Amino acid sequence: MNICVLVKYVPDTEAIVRIRSDSELEIENKYFTNFFDEIAIEEAVKLKEKFGGTVTVVTVDNRRIDALRRGIAMGADHAVQISDAALEGSDSFGIARVLAAFLKKEPWDVILCGRQAMDDDAAIVGPAVAELLDLPHVSSILGLEIAEDGRSARVARQVEGGREILLCPLPAVLTTQKGLNTPRIPQVMGMMKAMKVQVRKLDLGALGVDPAEVGERGRKVRILRYLPPPKRSKAMRIEEDFPDNVRRLVRLLREEAKAL
Amino acid sequence: MGGEVWVFVESVEGAIRKVSLELLCAADGFSKEIGGPVGAVLLGRPTDSALENLRSYADRVYLAEDERLAAYTSDGYTLALASLVRKHGPAVLLAGSTSTGRDLFPRVAVRLKTGLIPDCTGLAIGDEGRLLATRPIYGGKVFCQVSIPEASPQMATVRPNTFTLEKMNKRAEVIRDTTGLEGGEIRQKVEGVEKTTQEKVDVAEAEVVVGVGRGIRDPGNFKAVQDLADALGATIGVTRAVVDNGWWDVNDQIGKSGKNISARLYFAFGLSGAIHHVLGIQTCKTVVAVNTDTNALIFNYADYALVGDMMEVIPALKEEITKMKDEV
Repeated sequence: MNICVLVKYVPDTEAIVRIRSDSELEIENKYFTNFFDEIAIEEAVKLKEKFGGTVTVVTVDNRRIDALRRGIAMGADHAVQISDAALEGSDSFGIARVLAAFLKKEPWDVILCGRQAMDDDAAIVGPAVAELLDLPHVSSILGLEIAEDGRSARVARQVEGGREILLCPLPAVLTTQKGLNTPRIPQVMGMMKAMKVQVRKLDLGALGVDPAEVGERGRKVRILRYLPPPKRSKAMRIEEDFPDNVRRLVRLLREEAKAL
Repeated sequence: MGGEVWVFVESVEGAIRKVSLELLCAADGFSKEIGGPVGAVLLGRPTDSALENLRSYADRVYLAEDERLAAYTSDGYTLALASLVRKHGPAVLLAGSTSTGRDLFPRVAVRLKTGLIPDCTGLAIGDEGRLLATRPIYGGKVFCQVSIPEASPQMATVRPNTFTLEKMNKRAEVIRDTTGLEGGEIRQKVEGVEKTTQEKVDVAEAEVVVGVGRGIRDPGNFKAVQDLADALGATIGVTRAVVDNGWWDVNDQIGKSGKNISARLYFAFGLSGAIHHVLGIQTCKTVVAVNTDTNALIFNYADYALVGDMMEVIPALKEEITKMKDEV
Protein backbone atom coordinates (compact mmCIF):
# COMPACT_ATOMS: atom_id res chain seq x y z
CA MET A 1 0.00 0.00 0.00
CA ASN A 2 1.31 3.39 -1.06
CA ILE A 3 0.38 6.07 1.43
CA CYS A 4 1.13 9.77 1.29
CA VAL A 5 0.68 12.09 4.26
CA LEU A 6 0.49 15.86 3.84
CA VAL A 7 2.11 17.54 6.83
CA LYS A 8 2.72 21.06 8.11
CA TYR A 9 4.87 22.55 10.84
CA VAL A 10 2.85 25.19 12.66
CA PRO A 11 3.17 27.52 15.66
CA ASP A 12 2.54 25.68 18.91
CA THR A 13 -0.80 26.31 20.64
CA GLU A 14 1.16 28.00 23.45
CA ALA A 15 3.19 30.25 21.10
CA ILE A 16 2.64 33.98 21.46
CA VAL A 17 1.28 35.61 18.31
CA ARG A 18 1.32 39.41 18.19
CA ILE A 19 0.15 41.91 15.64
CA ARG A 20 3.04 44.06 14.46
CA SER A 21 1.08 46.02 11.88
CA ASP A 22 -2.03 45.69 9.72
CA SER A 23 -0.17 43.28 7.51
CA GLU A 24 2.43 41.70 9.74
CA LEU A 25 2.44 39.27 12.63
CA GLU A 26 5.14 38.42 15.11
CA ILE A 27 5.12 34.74 15.97
CA GLU A 28 7.13 33.24 18.81
CA ASN A 29 9.59 30.67 17.56
CA LYS A 30 7.81 27.72 19.13
CA TYR A 31 6.59 25.27 16.53
CA PHE A 32 5.30 21.72 16.38
CA THR A 33 3.99 19.26 13.83
CA ASN A 34 0.32 20.03 13.29
CA PHE A 35 -1.58 17.97 15.86
CA PHE A 36 -4.05 16.57 13.32
CA ASP A 37 -1.22 15.70 10.90
CA GLU A 38 0.41 13.54 13.58
CA ILE A 39 -2.83 11.57 13.72
CA ALA A 40 -2.59 11.18 9.93
CA ILE A 41 1.03 9.99 10.17
CA GLU A 42 0.09 7.49 12.89
CA GLU A 43 -2.74 6.11 10.76
CA ALA A 44 -0.46 5.79 7.74
CA VAL A 45 2.17 3.91 9.72
CA LYS A 46 -0.49 1.58 11.13
CA LEU A 47 -1.76 0.87 7.61
CA LYS A 48 1.78 0.13 6.48
CA GLU A 49 2.24 -2.25 9.39
CA LYS A 50 -0.91 -4.09 8.35
CA PHE A 51 -0.74 -4.01 4.56
CA GLY A 52 2.94 -3.42 3.84
CA GLY A 53 4.07 -0.76 1.38
CA THR A 54 5.54 2.65 2.06
CA VAL A 55 4.64 5.91 3.75
CA THR A 56 5.77 9.21 2.25
CA VAL A 57 5.44 12.49 4.12
CA VAL A 58 5.32 15.69 2.10
CA THR A 59 5.32 19.32 3.12
CA VAL A 60 5.10 22.63 1.28
CA ASP A 61 7.47 24.87 3.21
CA ASN A 62 10.44 26.98 2.20
CA ARG A 63 12.12 26.83 5.58
CA ARG A 64 11.09 24.10 7.95
CA ILE A 65 11.33 20.37 7.45
CA ASP A 66 10.78 19.38 11.09
CA ALA A 67 7.33 17.93 10.34
CA LEU A 68 9.03 15.63 7.80
CA ARG A 69 11.53 14.54 10.44
CA ARG A 70 8.70 13.88 12.85
CA GLY A 71 7.03 11.72 10.19
CA ILE A 72 10.21 9.71 9.61
CA ALA A 73 10.77 9.33 13.36
CA MET A 74 7.25 7.94 13.67
CA GLY A 75 7.85 5.38 10.93
CA ALA A 76 7.43 7.02 7.52
CA ASP A 77 9.88 5.90 4.82
CA HIS A 78 10.29 8.89 2.54
CA ALA A 79 10.24 12.65 2.99
CA VAL A 80 9.57 15.28 0.34
CA GLN A 81 9.91 19.03 0.72
CA ILE A 82 8.32 21.29 -1.85
CA SER A 83 9.90 24.72 -1.69
CA ASP A 84 10.11 27.64 -4.06
CA ALA A 85 10.47 31.39 -3.56
CA ALA A 86 7.31 31.86 -5.63
CA LEU A 87 5.31 30.03 -2.94
CA GLU A 88 5.58 32.88 -0.41
CA GLY A 89 2.15 34.22 0.46
CA SER A 90 0.19 31.30 -1.02
CA ASP A 91 -3.33 30.69 0.26
CA SER A 92 -4.82 27.23 0.89
CA PHE A 93 -5.85 26.91 -2.76
CA GLY A 94 -2.29 27.62 -3.96
CA ILE A 95 -0.86 25.05 -1.54
CA ALA A 96 -3.46 22.50 -2.65
CA ARG A 97 -2.50 23.12 -6.29
CA VAL A 98 1.16 22.38 -5.55
CA LEU A 99 0.38 19.27 -3.53
CA ALA A 100 -1.95 17.98 -6.23
CA ALA A 101 0.79 18.46 -8.84
CA PHE A 102 3.13 16.37 -6.71
CA LEU A 103 0.57 13.67 -5.94
CA LYS A 104 -0.35 13.33 -9.60
CA LYS A 105 3.13 12.09 -10.40
CA GLU A 106 2.77 8.79 -8.57
CA PRO A 107 -0.15 6.44 -7.85
CA TRP A 108 -1.29 6.50 -4.20
CA ASP A 109 -3.74 4.19 -2.46
CA VAL A 110 -4.49 6.57 0.38
CA ILE A 111 -3.72 10.26 0.90
CA LEU A 112 -4.03 11.41 4.49
CA CYS A 113 -3.78 14.81 6.13
CA GLY A 114 -4.98 16.51 9.29
CA ARG A 115 -8.50 17.92 9.24
CA GLN A 116 -7.04 21.42 9.48
CA ALA A 117 -3.75 23.18 10.17
CA MET A 118 -3.61 24.86 13.53
CA ASP A 119 -2.29 28.15 12.14
CA ASP A 120 -4.80 29.20 9.49
CA ASP A 121 -7.53 26.77 10.69
CA ALA A 122 -8.85 26.75 7.13
CA ALA A 123 -9.53 23.01 6.60
CA ILE A 124 -9.40 23.61 2.85
CA VAL A 125 -6.30 21.77 1.63
CA GLY A 126 -7.57 18.17 1.99
CA PRO A 127 -10.85 18.50 0.08
CA ALA A 128 -9.23 20.90 -2.42
CA VAL A 129 -6.47 18.40 -3.23
CA ALA A 130 -9.09 15.68 -3.71
CA GLU A 131 -11.04 17.87 -6.11
CA LEU A 132 -7.92 18.76 -8.11
CA LEU A 133 -7.05 15.07 -8.42
CA ASP A 134 -10.66 14.02 -9.05
CA LEU A 135 -10.50 11.67 -6.07
CA PRO A 136 -13.24 11.13 -3.50
CA HIS A 137 -12.61 12.61 -0.06
CA VAL A 138 -13.97 12.23 3.43
CA SER A 139 -13.03 14.77 6.08
CA SER A 140 -12.72 14.63 9.87
CA ILE A 141 -12.49 10.87 10.07
CA LEU A 142 -12.70 9.11 13.44
CA GLY A 143 -12.49 5.56 12.14
CA LEU A 144 -10.91 3.80 9.16
CA GLU A 145 -11.08 0.17 8.07
CA ILE A 146 -9.55 -0.72 4.74
CA ALA A 147 -10.88 -3.78 2.91
CA GLU A 148 -8.50 -6.74 2.56
CA ASP A 149 -8.11 -6.08 -1.16
CA GLY A 150 -7.14 -2.48 -0.40
CA ARG A 151 -9.64 -1.06 -2.84
CA SER A 152 -12.20 0.48 -0.55
CA ALA A 153 -12.52 1.85 2.96
CA ARG A 154 -15.20 1.94 5.60
CA VAL A 155 -14.89 5.32 7.23
CA ALA A 156 -16.45 7.02 10.24
CA ARG A 157 -16.71 10.76 9.87
CA GLN A 158 -17.45 13.23 12.63
CA VAL A 159 -20.83 14.89 12.22
CA GLU A 160 -22.95 16.90 14.65
CA GLY A 161 -23.99 14.65 17.50
CA GLY A 162 -22.33 11.50 16.27
CA ARG A 163 -20.39 9.70 13.61
CA GLU A 164 -21.48 8.91 10.11
CA ILE A 165 -20.39 5.62 8.61
CA LEU A 166 -19.70 5.50 4.89
CA LEU A 167 -18.01 3.43 2.27
CA CYS A 168 -15.50 5.08 -0.01
CA PRO A 169 -13.50 3.60 -2.86
CA LEU A 170 -9.72 4.03 -2.83
CA PRO A 171 -7.65 5.93 -3.73
CA ALA A 172 -9.15 8.73 -1.68
CA VAL A 173 -8.15 11.73 0.39
CA LEU A 174 -9.02 11.36 4.06
CA THR A 175 -8.58 14.11 6.64
CA THR A 176 -8.01 12.97 10.19
CA GLN A 177 -9.66 14.07 13.42
CA LYS A 178 -8.84 13.50 17.06
CA GLY A 179 -10.27 10.16 18.15
CA LEU A 180 -8.95 8.19 15.17
CA ASN A 181 -5.85 7.08 17.07
CA THR A 182 -3.24 8.21 19.55
CA PRO A 183 -0.03 9.21 17.77
CA ARG A 184 2.99 7.24 18.94
CA ILE A 185 5.95 8.90 20.62
CA PRO A 186 8.98 8.32 18.39
CA GLN A 187 11.62 5.94 19.74
CA VAL A 188 15.36 6.64 19.76
CA MET A 189 15.94 4.58 16.63
CA GLY A 190 13.30 6.56 14.80
CA MET A 191 14.81 9.85 15.93
CA MET A 192 18.22 8.75 14.66
CA LYS A 193 16.72 7.79 11.32
CA ALA A 194 15.00 11.16 11.15
CA MET A 195 18.24 13.03 11.71
CA LYS A 196 19.86 11.25 8.80
CA VAL A 197 16.93 11.21 6.40
CA GLN A 198 17.49 12.28 2.83
CA VAL A 199 14.80 14.84 2.10
CA ARG A 200 13.84 14.94 -1.55
CA LYS A 201 13.50 18.56 -2.65
CA LEU A 202 11.18 19.71 -5.38
CA ASP A 203 10.41 23.14 -6.75
CA LEU A 204 7.58 24.45 -8.88
CA GLY A 205 9.53 23.79 -12.08
CA ALA A 206 9.93 20.13 -11.22
CA LEU A 207 6.19 19.90 -10.60
CA GLY A 208 5.19 21.84 -13.68
CA VAL A 209 3.23 24.42 -11.65
CA ASP A 210 2.89 27.93 -13.06
CA PRO A 211 4.27 30.35 -10.42
CA ALA A 212 1.40 32.75 -11.24
CA GLU A 213 -1.05 30.20 -9.78
CA VAL A 214 0.52 30.32 -6.33
CA GLY A 215 2.03 32.90 -3.97
CA GLU A 216 0.58 36.38 -3.56
CA ARG A 217 -0.39 36.58 -7.23
CA GLY A 218 -2.39 33.37 -7.12
CA ARG A 219 -4.35 34.23 -3.99
CA LYS A 220 -8.11 34.00 -4.21
CA VAL A 221 -8.54 35.20 -0.65
CA ARG A 222 -6.84 38.42 0.47
CA ILE A 223 -5.99 39.31 4.03
CA LEU A 224 -6.83 43.01 4.37
CA ARG A 225 -5.62 43.42 7.92
CA TYR A 226 -4.99 41.68 11.21
CA LEU A 227 -7.14 42.55 14.20
CA PRO A 228 -6.81 41.81 17.91
CA PRO A 229 -9.34 39.31 19.26
CA PRO A 230 -12.49 40.82 20.78
CA LYS A 231 -11.76 41.95 24.34
CA ARG A 232 -13.84 40.79 27.24
CA SER A 233 -14.22 43.22 30.12
CA LYS A 234 -12.93 42.22 33.52
CA ALA A 235 -14.99 39.53 35.21
CA MET A 236 -17.42 40.45 37.94
CA ARG A 237 -16.43 38.50 41.04
CA ILE A 238 -19.30 37.01 42.97
CA GLU A 239 -18.00 36.96 46.53
CA GLU A 240 -20.98 35.87 48.61
CA ASP A 241 -20.94 32.59 50.51
CA PHE A 242 -22.69 29.51 49.15
CA PRO A 243 -25.60 29.36 48.35
CA ASP A 244 -26.10 33.14 48.21
CA ASN A 245 -23.48 33.34 45.46
CA VAL A 246 -25.54 31.02 43.25
CA ARG A 247 -28.68 33.10 43.80
CA ARG A 248 -26.81 36.29 42.94
CA LEU A 249 -25.34 34.69 39.83
CA VAL A 250 -28.77 33.68 38.56
CA ARG A 251 -30.10 37.17 39.26
CA LEU A 252 -27.19 38.78 37.39
CA LEU A 253 -27.55 36.44 34.45
CA ARG A 254 -31.21 37.22 34.23
CA GLU A 255 -31.28 40.94 34.91
CA GLU A 256 -27.87 42.23 33.85
CA ALA A 257 -26.65 39.89 31.12
CA LYS A 258 -30.19 39.02 29.98
CA ALA A 259 -28.84 35.57 29.28
CA LEU A 260 -31.49 33.48 31.06
CA MET B 1 -22.25 44.75 -8.58
CA GLY B 2 -25.60 43.01 -8.03
CA GLY B 3 -26.44 39.34 -8.07
CA GLU B 4 -28.15 36.87 -5.81
CA VAL B 5 -27.04 36.04 -2.29
CA TRP B 6 -27.32 32.31 -1.76
CA VAL B 7 -27.33 30.22 1.36
CA PHE B 8 -26.66 26.51 1.16
CA VAL B 9 -29.34 25.11 3.48
CA GLU B 10 -28.81 22.04 5.61
CA SER B 11 -31.61 19.97 7.01
CA VAL B 12 -31.43 17.40 9.77
CA GLU B 13 -34.09 14.73 9.96
CA GLY B 14 -36.51 16.93 8.06
CA ALA B 15 -35.86 20.16 9.99
CA ILE B 16 -33.83 23.09 8.66
CA ARG B 17 -30.62 23.62 10.61
CA LYS B 18 -30.71 26.78 12.68
CA VAL B 19 -27.44 28.15 11.29
CA SER B 20 -28.92 28.05 7.79
CA LEU B 21 -31.85 30.20 8.92
CA GLU B 22 -29.47 32.58 10.73
CA LEU B 23 -27.56 33.01 7.48
CA LEU B 24 -30.75 33.61 5.52
CA CYS B 25 -31.60 36.42 7.99
CA ALA B 26 -28.15 37.93 7.46
CA ALA B 27 -28.42 37.42 3.69
CA ASP B 28 -31.57 39.52 3.70
CA GLY B 29 -29.48 42.50 4.82
CA PHE B 30 -26.62 41.71 2.43
CA SER B 31 -28.99 41.40 -0.51
CA LYS B 32 -30.29 44.91 0.09
CA GLU B 33 -26.74 46.26 -0.16
CA ILE B 34 -25.82 44.17 -3.16
CA GLY B 35 -29.14 44.63 -4.90
CA GLY B 36 -30.29 41.08 -5.58
CA PRO B 37 -32.68 38.53 -4.11
CA VAL B 38 -31.89 35.92 -1.43
CA GLY B 39 -31.75 32.36 -2.66
CA ALA B 40 -31.90 29.28 -0.43
CA VAL B 41 -30.44 26.11 -1.94
CA LEU B 42 -31.85 22.87 -0.67
CA LEU B 43 -30.68 19.50 -1.92
CA GLY B 44 -32.38 16.18 -1.35
CA ARG B 45 -35.93 15.45 -0.29
CA PRO B 46 -37.22 17.99 2.22
CA THR B 47 -40.47 17.47 4.12
CA ASP B 48 -43.37 19.73 3.16
CA SER B 49 -43.18 21.58 6.46
CA ALA B 50 -39.42 22.16 6.15
CA LEU B 51 -39.87 23.56 2.67
CA GLU B 52 -42.76 25.75 3.80
CA ASN B 53 -40.71 27.06 6.72
CA LEU B 54 -37.79 27.81 4.41
CA ARG B 55 -40.01 29.74 2.02
CA SER B 56 -40.56 32.41 4.67
CA TYR B 57 -36.80 33.08 4.88
CA ALA B 58 -35.89 33.51 1.21
CA ASP B 59 -37.02 35.12 -2.03
CA ARG B 60 -36.25 32.00 -4.01
CA VAL B 61 -35.77 28.40 -2.95
CA TYR B 62 -33.71 26.37 -5.37
CA LEU B 63 -34.56 22.74 -4.85
CA ALA B 64 -32.66 19.85 -6.40
CA GLU B 65 -34.77 16.85 -5.49
CA ASP B 66 -33.26 13.42 -5.83
CA GLU B 67 -33.13 10.32 -3.68
CA ARG B 68 -29.37 10.21 -4.25
CA LEU B 69 -29.10 13.52 -2.41
CA ALA B 70 -31.12 12.32 0.59
CA ALA B 71 -27.90 11.78 2.58
CA TYR B 72 -24.93 14.12 2.28
CA THR B 73 -21.96 12.96 0.24
CA SER B 74 -19.22 15.30 -0.90
CA ASP B 75 -19.44 13.94 -4.45
CA GLY B 76 -23.23 14.22 -4.81
CA TYR B 77 -23.53 17.61 -3.18
CA THR B 78 -20.57 19.07 -5.08
CA LEU B 79 -22.14 17.99 -8.37
CA ALA B 80 -25.54 19.41 -7.46
CA LEU B 81 -24.41 22.68 -5.91
CA ALA B 82 -21.77 23.49 -8.53
CA SER B 83 -24.28 22.83 -11.27
CA LEU B 84 -26.87 25.18 -9.75
CA VAL B 85 -24.28 27.91 -9.22
CA ARG B 86 -23.07 27.64 -12.81
CA LYS B 87 -26.59 27.92 -14.08
CA HIS B 88 -27.78 30.86 -11.97
CA GLY B 89 -24.51 32.64 -11.12
CA PRO B 90 -25.11 33.97 -7.60
CA ALA B 91 -22.71 36.68 -6.37
CA VAL B 92 -22.38 35.24 -2.87
CA LEU B 93 -22.62 31.68 -1.58
CA LEU B 94 -22.77 31.06 2.17
CA ALA B 95 -22.99 27.99 4.39
CA GLY B 96 -22.77 27.22 8.07
CA SER B 97 -19.36 26.29 9.39
CA THR B 98 -20.64 22.80 10.18
CA SER B 99 -19.22 19.38 9.40
CA THR B 100 -21.08 19.48 6.08
CA GLY B 101 -20.31 23.10 5.19
CA ARG B 102 -16.62 22.69 5.89
CA ASP B 103 -16.46 19.41 3.96
CA LEU B 104 -18.39 20.61 0.92
CA PHE B 105 -17.39 24.21 0.32
CA PRO B 106 -13.64 23.77 -0.34
CA ARG B 107 -14.42 21.22 -3.02
CA VAL B 108 -17.11 23.37 -4.62
CA ALA B 109 -14.81 26.42 -4.51
CA VAL B 110 -12.10 24.58 -6.42
CA ARG B 111 -14.58 23.27 -8.96
CA LEU B 112 -15.94 26.78 -9.53
CA LYS B 113 -12.42 28.27 -9.56
CA THR B 114 -13.29 30.73 -6.85
CA GLY B 115 -12.15 31.47 -3.31
CA LEU B 116 -13.55 30.53 0.07
CA ILE B 117 -13.34 32.25 3.45
CA PRO B 118 -13.83 29.50 6.00
CA ASP B 119 -15.18 29.63 9.55
CA CYS B 120 -16.07 33.33 9.72
CA THR B 121 -17.17 34.96 12.95
CA GLY B 122 -18.22 38.17 11.27
CA LEU B 123 -19.51 39.03 7.83
CA ALA B 124 -20.56 42.26 6.16
CA ILE B 125 -20.69 43.82 2.72
CA GLY B 126 -17.75 46.10 1.99
CA ASP B 127 -16.81 48.32 -0.93
CA GLU B 128 -18.07 47.37 -4.37
CA GLY B 129 -20.52 44.95 -2.83
CA ARG B 130 -17.89 42.41 -1.89
CA LEU B 131 -17.92 40.30 1.25
CA LEU B 132 -15.90 41.60 4.14
CA ALA B 133 -15.28 38.72 6.50
CA THR B 134 -13.66 38.43 9.89
CA ARG B 135 -12.20 35.15 11.00
CA PRO B 136 -9.95 33.91 13.77
CA ILE B 137 -6.54 32.47 12.96
CA TYR B 138 -3.90 30.88 15.19
CA GLY B 139 -6.80 29.46 17.13
CA GLY B 140 -8.20 32.91 17.79
CA LYS B 141 -5.08 34.64 19.08
CA VAL B 142 -5.45 36.96 16.12
CA PHE B 143 -8.39 37.77 13.89
CA CYS B 144 -8.11 38.86 10.29
CA GLN B 145 -10.31 40.73 7.90
CA VAL B 146 -10.42 39.09 4.51
CA SER B 147 -12.12 39.36 1.17
CA ILE B 148 -12.25 37.63 -2.18
CA PRO B 149 -11.44 40.57 -4.46
CA GLU B 150 -11.90 39.04 -7.88
CA ALA B 151 -13.38 35.57 -8.07
CA SER B 152 -17.08 34.77 -8.12
CA PRO B 153 -19.15 33.59 -6.41
CA GLN B 154 -17.66 34.79 -3.15
CA MET B 155 -17.91 31.84 -0.81
CA ALA B 156 -17.79 31.74 2.98
CA THR B 157 -18.71 29.42 5.82
CA VAL B 158 -19.93 31.10 8.97
CA ARG B 159 -19.99 29.88 12.57
CA PRO B 160 -23.36 29.12 14.12
CA ASN B 161 -24.75 31.89 16.37
CA THR B 162 -22.87 34.62 14.48
CA PHE B 163 -26.15 36.13 13.34
CA THR B 164 -29.45 36.40 15.18
CA LEU B 165 -32.33 34.28 14.03
CA GLU B 166 -35.44 36.35 13.48
CA LYS B 167 -38.83 35.38 12.23
CA MET B 168 -39.30 36.35 8.59
CA ASN B 169 -42.39 36.48 6.44
CA LYS B 170 -41.23 36.05 2.87
CA ARG B 171 -43.01 33.84 0.38
CA ALA B 172 -40.25 32.39 -1.75
CA GLU B 173 -41.06 30.89 -5.09
CA VAL B 174 -39.77 27.33 -5.27
CA ILE B 175 -37.61 26.63 -8.28
CA ARG B 176 -37.30 22.90 -8.82
CA ASP B 177 -34.11 22.53 -10.74
CA THR B 178 -31.72 19.99 -12.20
CA THR B 179 -29.62 17.95 -9.83
CA GLY B 180 -26.41 18.08 -11.84
CA LEU B 181 -25.93 14.38 -11.09
CA GLU B 182 -26.08 13.39 -14.74
CA GLY B 183 -22.64 12.57 -16.01
CA GLY B 184 -21.17 12.52 -12.52
CA GLU B 185 -20.60 9.78 -10.03
CA ILE B 186 -21.29 9.55 -6.31
CA ARG B 187 -18.45 7.45 -5.04
CA GLN B 188 -19.18 7.51 -1.30
CA LYS B 189 -22.06 5.45 0.09
CA VAL B 190 -23.57 6.44 3.42
CA GLU B 191 -24.44 3.50 5.68
CA GLY B 192 -25.88 5.50 8.54
CA VAL B 193 -25.17 7.69 11.53
CA GLU B 194 -24.23 6.40 14.97
CA LYS B 195 -25.33 8.84 17.61
CA THR B 196 -22.53 9.08 20.11
CA THR B 197 -23.63 11.90 22.30
CA GLN B 198 -26.56 13.92 23.45
CA GLU B 199 -29.85 14.21 21.65
CA LYS B 200 -29.65 17.98 22.02
CA VAL B 201 -28.15 20.35 19.47
CA ASP B 202 -24.46 19.98 18.77
CA VAL B 203 -22.13 21.84 21.10
CA ALA B 204 -20.84 23.99 18.21
CA GLU B 205 -24.36 25.19 17.48
CA ALA B 206 -25.83 25.36 20.96
CA GLU B 207 -26.97 28.70 22.35
CA VAL B 208 -26.26 27.62 25.91
CA VAL B 209 -23.35 25.32 26.75
CA VAL B 210 -22.41 23.81 30.08
CA GLY B 211 -18.66 23.23 29.92
CA VAL B 212 -16.99 20.77 32.23
CA GLY B 213 -13.33 20.25 33.04
CA ARG B 214 -11.24 17.94 35.14
CA GLY B 215 -12.96 19.32 38.26
CA ILE B 216 -15.76 16.86 37.59
CA ARG B 217 -13.40 14.28 39.19
CA ASP B 218 -15.53 11.27 38.32
CA PRO B 219 -17.60 10.50 35.22
CA GLY B 220 -20.46 9.46 37.53
CA ASN B 221 -20.87 13.14 38.37
CA PHE B 222 -22.09 13.92 34.85
CA LYS B 223 -25.62 13.05 36.01
CA ALA B 224 -25.81 16.33 37.96
CA VAL B 225 -24.33 18.23 35.00
CA GLN B 226 -26.92 16.72 32.69
CA ASP B 227 -29.71 17.76 35.07
CA LEU B 228 -28.47 21.35 34.96
CA ALA B 229 -28.07 21.22 31.18
CA ASP B 230 -31.65 19.96 30.89
CA ALA B 231 -32.94 22.76 33.10
CA LEU B 232 -31.09 25.30 30.94
CA GLY B 233 -31.92 23.67 27.61
CA ALA B 234 -28.16 23.48 27.18
CA THR B 235 -25.66 21.15 25.59
CA ILE B 236 -22.71 19.72 27.53
CA GLY B 237 -19.21 20.46 26.31
CA VAL B 238 -15.98 19.20 27.81
CA THR B 239 -12.27 19.96 27.91
CA ARG B 240 -9.48 17.94 26.37
CA ALA B 241 -8.56 16.46 29.77
CA VAL B 242 -12.05 15.03 30.21
CA VAL B 243 -11.92 13.41 26.75
CA ASP B 244 -8.38 12.12 27.24
CA ASN B 245 -9.46 10.51 30.52
CA GLY B 246 -12.13 8.64 28.59
CA TRP B 247 -14.96 10.30 30.54
CA TRP B 248 -16.85 11.83 27.61
CA ASP B 249 -16.97 11.61 23.81
CA VAL B 250 -14.58 13.64 21.67
CA ASN B 251 -17.54 14.96 19.69
CA ASP B 252 -18.28 17.45 22.47
CA GLN B 253 -14.71 18.57 23.08
CA ILE B 254 -14.30 22.34 23.07
CA GLY B 255 -10.96 23.91 22.15
CA LYS B 256 -8.09 23.86 19.75
CA SER B 257 -8.27 20.17 18.91
CA GLY B 258 -12.02 20.04 19.38
CA LYS B 259 -14.77 22.47 18.42
CA ASN B 260 -15.10 26.22 18.56
CA ILE B 261 -18.29 27.37 20.16
CA SER B 262 -20.17 30.66 19.91
CA ALA B 263 -22.75 30.17 22.63
CA ARG B 264 -24.90 33.01 23.91
CA LEU B 265 -24.20 31.72 27.43
CA TYR B 266 -21.29 29.51 28.43
CA PHE B 267 -20.70 27.98 31.87
CA ALA B 268 -17.13 26.89 32.54
CA PHE B 269 -17.19 24.48 35.47
CA GLY B 270 -14.04 23.13 37.08
CA LEU B 271 -11.75 23.95 34.22
CA SER B 272 -8.54 25.88 34.61
CA GLY B 273 -8.70 27.89 31.41
CA ALA B 274 -5.78 26.39 29.47
CA ILE B 275 -5.12 28.28 26.24
CA HIS B 276 -6.24 25.17 24.37
CA HIS B 277 -9.74 25.53 25.78
CA VAL B 278 -9.98 29.31 25.91
CA LEU B 279 -9.29 29.57 22.17
CA GLY B 280 -12.45 27.57 21.55
CA ILE B 281 -14.80 29.82 23.57
CA GLN B 282 -13.66 33.23 22.41
CA THR B 283 -16.76 34.15 20.51
CA CYS B 284 -19.15 33.18 23.30
CA LYS B 285 -21.23 36.14 24.45
CA THR B 286 -21.52 35.67 28.22
CA VAL B 287 -19.07 33.44 30.07
CA VAL B 288 -19.58 32.26 33.65
CA ALA B 289 -16.65 30.55 35.36
CA VAL B 290 -16.89 28.45 38.48
CA ASN B 291 -13.69 27.18 40.03
CA THR B 292 -12.31 26.42 43.48
CA ASP B 293 -8.99 28.05 42.57
CA THR B 294 -9.22 31.83 43.07
CA ASN B 295 -6.39 32.31 40.57
CA ALA B 296 -7.71 30.02 37.84
CA LEU B 297 -6.88 31.44 34.41
CA ILE B 298 -10.45 30.96 33.26
CA PHE B 299 -11.50 33.89 35.45
CA ASN B 300 -9.55 36.17 33.08
CA TYR B 301 -11.84 35.14 30.24
CA ALA B 302 -15.11 35.21 32.14
CA ASP B 303 -17.79 37.85 32.60
CA TYR B 304 -18.88 36.37 35.92
CA ALA B 305 -16.45 34.63 38.26
CA LEU B 306 -17.63 32.48 41.11
CA VAL B 307 -15.14 30.80 43.41
CA GLY B 308 -16.68 27.54 44.50
CA ASP B 309 -16.86 23.80 44.09
CA MET B 310 -18.66 22.89 40.89
CA MET B 311 -20.21 19.83 42.51
CA GLU B 312 -21.82 22.06 45.11
CA VAL B 313 -22.73 24.87 42.72
CA ILE B 314 -24.22 22.78 39.92
CA PRO B 315 -27.18 21.26 41.83
CA ALA B 316 -27.89 24.60 43.53
CA LEU B 317 -27.82 26.38 40.21
CA LYS B 318 -30.17 23.83 38.73
CA GLU B 319 -32.59 24.39 41.58
CA GLU B 320 -32.45 28.19 41.25
CA ILE B 321 -33.05 28.03 37.52
CA THR B 322 -35.95 25.64 37.87
CA LYS B 323 -37.44 27.93 40.53
CA MET B 324 -36.96 30.95 38.29
CA LYS B 325 -38.68 29.21 35.40
CA ASP B 326 -41.61 28.20 37.60
CA GLU B 327 -42.05 31.83 38.59
CA VAL B 328 -42.20 33.06 35.03
